[in-house]
Amino acid sequence: MTKFVIRRFIGLFPTLFVIITLSFFIVRAAPGGPFDREKRLPPEIMRNIEKKYNLDEPLLMQYGRYILDILRGDLGPSFSYPDHDVNYFIFNSLPKSLILGSIALGIAVIVGVGVGMISSVRQNTWVDYTAMSFAVMGITIPLFVVGPVLMYFLALRLNWLPTSGWVTGQHGWVTIIMPVVTLSLPYFAYNARLSRASILEVLRSDYVRTARAKGLREIVIMFKHVLKGALLPVVSYLGPAFAGIITGSVVVERIFRIPGLGQFFVQAAFNRDYTLLMGTVIVYSVILIIMNFIVDIVYGFLDPRISYS
Amino acid sequence: MNSELVLKVEDLRTYFNTDDGIVKAVDGISFELHKGETLGLVGESGCGKSVSCLSVMKLIPSPPGRIMSGQAMLQGKNILDYPVDKIRQIRGGKVSMIFQDPMTSLNPFLRISTQMIETIRLHQGLDKIQAKDKAIDMLRLVGIPNPVKRVDDYPHQFSGGMRQRVMIAMALSCNPEVLIADEPSTALDVTIQAQILEIIKELSVKLGTAVILITHDLGVVAGMCDKICVMYAGKIVEKAKVDELYNDPKHPYTQGLIKSVPRLDKPGKQRLYSIEGQPPNLIDLPDVCSFHPRCEYAMDICRQKYPPEFSVDGRSVRCWLYKEEK
Amino acid sequence: MDAATIEKSKEKNDIYVSELNQPIKGVSLWKDAWRRLKKNKMAMFGLVVVIVYAILSITAPILPIYSYKYQVLEHQYLPPSLNKNAGQLLLEREEMLLLAMANKMGRSELNQQERDKLVRLKEQVAMETREIDGEVVKVHERRYILGTDSLGRDLLARIIYGGQVSIAIGIIGTITSVFIGIVIGALAGYLGGRIDYIITRIIDVMYGMPYMMLVIILMALFGRNILNLFFALAIVSWLTVARVVRGQIISLKNSEFVEAARSIGASTGRIVFRHLVPNTLGVIVVFSTLRIPSFIMLESFLSFLGLGVQAPFASWGSLVSDGVEGMNLYPWRLFFPAIAMVVFLFAMNFLGDGLRDALDPQSKNKL
Repeated sequence: MTKFVIRRFIGLFPTLFVIITLSFFIVRAAPGGPFDREKRLPPEIMRNIEKKYNLDEPLLMQYGRYILDILRGDLGPSFSYPDHDVNYFIFNSLPKSLILGSIALGIAVIVGVGVGMISSVRQNTWVDYTAMSFAVMGITIPLFVVGPVLMYFLALRLNWLPTSGWVTGQHGWVTIIMPVVTLSLPYFAYNARLSRASILEVLRSDYVRTARAKGLREIVIMFKHVLKGALLPVVSYLGPAFAGIITGSVVVERIFRIPGLGQFFVQAAFNRDYTLLMGTVIVYSVILIIMNFIVDIVYGFLDPRISYS
Repeated sequence: MNSELVLKVEDLRTYFNTDDGIVKAVDGISFELHKGETLGLVGESGCGKSVSCLSVMKLIPSPPGRIMSGQAMLQGKNILDYPVDKIRQIRGGKVSMIFQDPMTSLNPFLRISTQMIETIRLHQGLDKIQAKDKAIDMLRLVGIPNPVKRVDDYPHQFSGGMRQRVMIAMALSCNPEVLIADEPSTALDVTIQAQILEIIKELSVKLGTAVILITHDLGVVAGMCDKICVMYAGKIVEKAKVDELYNDPKHPYTQGLIKSVPRLDKPGKQRLYSIEGQPPNLIDLPDVCSFHPRCEYAMDICRQKYPPEFSVDGRSVRCWLYKEEK
Repeated sequence: MDAATIEKSKEKNDIYVSELNQPIKGVSLWKDAWRRLKKNKMAMFGLVVVIVYAILSITAPILPIYSYKYQVLEHQYLPPSLNKNAGQLLLEREEMLLLAMANKMGRSELNQQERDKLVRLKEQVAMETREIDGEVVKVHERRYILGTDSLGRDLLARIIYGGQVSIAIGIIGTITSVFIGIVIGALAGYLGGRIDYIITRIIDVMYGMPYMMLVIILMALFGRNILNLFFALAIVSWLTVARVVRGQIISLKNSEFVEAARSIGASTGRIVFRHLVPNTLGVIVVFSTLRIPSFIMLESFLSFLGLGVQAPFASWGSLVSDGVEGMNLYPWRLFFPAIAMVVFLFAMNFLGDGLRDALDPQSKNKL
């Protein structure tokens, strides 16, 4: 088992390396640089700026320098916000995005699987139909429709919730309700359908038939025999789900004006702020890679055919 | 075999409600099983043999399927009338079933010990340690080497034949009155098949368990069973002791089946025999003899009504050919 | 057997009768699938809706609707109205404004000056004409059924034309990614060995990357035109198709009909494209139907961030994005495009689900 974990862990670094390298060169390949403004700056000033940020060096040297900096934990200065460096922005905004994303993921998994279980046990009853219709809606309606619509009804018309802001502000934790619901909705919905289908399939399997033939109670069968196998697809889906949540958070943060990492992502791309953009990409990638790693481990833990082979 | 009557099934009917119509999977079968006896339930795929036994254990999935009528008397009591909790006591306890495919019949995510212990504790009320010991004993009984260590393994760590032995061990661990074996050897290699059947026979003698062996393979039946029921399209068409059946098959279908077995001991180069035609669709089956389109002896009456059970030479056949000999 | 019976038996020529008088229907994959699909009411409903949308999109240029890009700046933010035309709405709005100002100054009625203003506006509204697309039109007689946007453009027209763009993106994107995916997946699956290994590795690495991020970066860096959009979307979405096709081909590769084809000398290409791919068609069709809404959502997502289609073109995504601002005061700008898009997405999803059930009712991929 430990060999399995170690093997997977080592595999993380190449992927991260590829992502960093790819992003670095793609970003630099784009037309326009970080200091192109509408009014062209005089050449001497441009030269000074480039020298200061090492932009006049050959690309490979810049790349090498960048990798070394990363290893030291320094993500570099921000080109568009000269007063602070990238680490500053990231440390201030990352926690908010992480909280938002984790809660959303948690809801998506727990509530999603719960609904899926209930649906499967009450298959083809009104409970099932309502839950699955709701799930279809959750999957089909895009995030950026759900968010504003929720905001329109709950905040603007009914005044039950504030339209924006973050937990530490004047409204407290209530502000987190709409963003989290919006962000988790499609993944909760997908999980509900996935776990329902998976449970139903396992319920039809031969080994559940054996369990029934041995005289076990349905509840015991469900929790002891069915869940372990049925949850495997859900665990597999966690990786892509989290990736989706990360991407979705960019939009959700914009709609609900949450000061998370997402706001820097698009803006930095527009501004050609290389370091800030790279910084956010790296942070997101690391989070994603770690998440995939955890998922792999959990999957191996659940399925003895993988870890005991 | 004049021992006590363990299981008596009378006029069992199980129908399935499908989109295309009602499938009469089991349409009025009856048989008797005595203590220590091995009964062979033989027929083609889809003739209803598995469904019959699943019905006895009330394991038929109930939205499409329903046991319409009939009785299954286990030691004098009709278990088809039992409520759910009482039936669960029977399953695994008094009547055990093992299935065709050992690869998929064991839960791949749980250890063997877990799966065996739960049955033992459920039906025999032992504590964990006693139950585990019993499990190890059963594994030893079916010939699993090094059972003390192997009991904690996962199913995928066993080969196909071993897995089926585990299934047998699990099924017999609570000393049931009846063991139903649904094609236990079909999914295994030929060499392993014989071993598995041997074990079943041995243990049934040792533990006094009555066995219902479901199969489509006449060769299997010949070696193992005391008596045989031949099924076709949801009904039992012939019942006989094993020797009687092989030496003198009465029903044209049985005759066809026996003729179809390729023989090395017959002289000359003969064409392989097969029964012409195909088994009928079980939906909207009219009440005529369902075998008559494939039967070389078909008469007018065969096309009009399904033959009742006729007694011939101390056995029973459902065929109009035997009408006079009542 | 007379002519009539022969005709009838030809009609039902895939229904045979067994000796026990039981009807046996002949089974062809597509006919059987169509039969199953017809039974699925939600899927048929989806199909109808999709056809309606398709017709609207294709016939858009000849439909009696206004231009999607002509701006009448005075008409900005007009609410939807079935019976009142633009002029009436403008008058109403002006009147309310004047009243509000009057109230602020302590009066509850309009004075003469203000009433004159209204009369002048009324005249202007009755007389003013503009030239739109070569025609001279009394512009204030326009009726905006779904309202207008911030630049006085008719929302109904923009939604229909936006639909054209969105659906086109969905279809073209899907076709491109499916095509790329089929070729790569089929080759990987059939050829196996090193090629398969390399391709699978690439797919795995790309799968693990947050591809939306990649798309966002690409769009932001390389410009926001439609070509880049297709390029970016296609690059990241052939992965799943390739995987699915590869899987199917691997499982079919060793089946008997392939051996038979090989034994009579069929070449690799022929085997792959004439034998294996058609067998994966069922899966591909279902996948494509579910991909189209996915692409539309991807593009909308990008539009929301400002990276999608640019003015004066519209897509449903950009319309929703525009509609979010000011949704408190002008909610129709958000709701109508949103509803149009969501209904289409629903229809495609139902259709896709129905197709999946119809083509493979025992599919393990049933959700």
